Amino acid sequence: MQQTPGGGWRARIELGLRADGQRAVLAKNEHAGPLVVQKPFYPEGADLAHIYLVHPPGGVCGGDELAVGLDLGPCAKALATTPAAGKFYRSAGEPARVDQHFRVGAGASLEWLPQETIVYDGAVAALATRVELTPGACFFGWEIICLGLAASNKPFVHGEFRQRLEIWQDARPLLIENLRCRAGDRSLIAPWGLSGHTVAATFVCTLGAPGGPEPFRQAALAAAREAVSPFTRDNLVAACLCDGLLVCRLHGRDSAAAKKAFIAAWRALRPLTLGRLAHPPRIWAT
Amino acid sequence: MRRAPALTGSLALTRLLHLSSPALPVGAFAYSRGLEWVAAAGLTPDAAAVRDWILGLLDRSLSRLDAPVLCRLHAAFASGDTAKAAAWNDFLYASRETHEARLEDRQTGQALAKLLAGLGMAEAEAFRSDPRATFACLFALAAARWEIRSCDACAGYLFSWAENQLAAALKLGCLGQSAGQRILHEAGGLIPDAVACGAALADEDIGSLAPGQAMASALHETLETRLFRS
Repeated sequence: MQQTPGGGWRARIELGLRADGQRAVLAKNEHAGPLVVQKPFYPEGADLAHIYLVHPPGGVCGGDELAVGLDLGPCAKALATTPAAGKFYRSAGEPARVDQHFRVGAGASLEWLPQETIVYDGAVAALATRVELTPGACFFGWEIICLGLAASNKPFVHGEFRQRLEIWQDARPLLIENLRCRAGDRSLIAPWGLSGHTVAATFVCTLGAPGGPEPFRQAALAAAREAVSPFTRDNLVAACLCDGLLVCRLHGRDSAAAKKAFIAAWRALRPLTLGRLAHPPRIWAT
Repeated sequence: MRRAPALTGSLALTRLLHLSSPALPVGAFAYSRGLEWVAAAGLTPDAAAVRDWILGLLDRSLSRLDAPVLCRLHAAFASGDTAKAAAWNDFLYASRETHEARLEDRQTGQALAKLLAGLGMAEAEAFRSDPRATFACLFALAAARWEIRSCDACAGYLFSWAENQLAAALKLGCLGQSAGQRILHEAGGLIPDAVACGAALADEDIGSLAPGQAMASALHETLETRLFRS
């Protein structure tokens, strides 16, 4: 393990999957520091690996730097999740960083379906996710951000959280999204900001090459809207098409509801885009 | 006979007025950028709420995304670096977070490309078939070729955005004419700083910070009655 100049811990993991015949093989699993993946599971057949990314300390403190790299070779298929919520704890001043970098090869599919990320009061942190898709790659992903713990009366009243999500295809950007939440700032309450919501979540799913069949995309959009419709009463939820991507956003107050909404959208879309029924990772049930 | 330079009107200024005019036939009046949903949701009941929407977006979205990208596009066109211009255009297009925001940029961008090509700017022709060509990209191209300074071009772009948002607010019945003019005057006073803030941003800090606008824009798509296309 290494210490960062800010006095935190640095952890890094590099994962590589390749398709070996009909099997998705975890061919590379190198880590330094407390960030590990054990043996993949194959609950829905050998061609699609379920991977649990574990961060044993259970949370990130000021000065910590975590880097996750996941590389899927041509035709490799994986679903990656986390066993517990990500946590950014109070910082003494030094910022914490988590960088996630995913590369998905031609004909490969990656589903990045982590538990929510909780930003504790006093955290100073940044979460950056960059996804690079080769033409013909499939991607599902979400990030659910929860500012403070409203239910336990621990609101986010100090600190700053930044998030950036970038999706690239064939070296051109498809979607770039930013969030910056400074405690006490008007962006947390303004209608152009978060309108007082404490949960901000984004779900994305690829729908094939630009200029692909429009009826398919419209059907996927309708399916996603239908799936999230039970959640529109207590949350702002909207799905739209951004060229070859379906994007669904939710602003609310309950991260469990956000997760349920996105799981519903994933269940509805997975048969359409991957041709497989949704197979929730076993760890979600525990 | 030579006229004294001090008494000559500025050609760059007339070109900028042309580009920033609400009468520029690119169809900008058809887009509210989520404001129509916000109004329908009852979030802009009065002039103060409209002011907060416009000044908030100016500070956290336009000055952090459009302005810095416009500056960089202007520099790229001025130095003939078309690859860099294309990369910044792609970045801006990818930063449009919804279907309707992308549609607006595509339609107004292509309309401006056609208009500029019609005014003899041959370079604009190529953008007429580029589905991702943004309005800011063509605006920057015109500004660079007409020798409008980058900061002035940005100020004109931001002012015409504010004017268009206020016209939409007026049409939606959120405020009256004179309250609208007061907000536009105030926005005009803030634009020079917004331009400077945008120009000073590091590349990695460029990006819109207005999640509520993206939400409003996406929700607008399924609004039952709509006057605007966004």
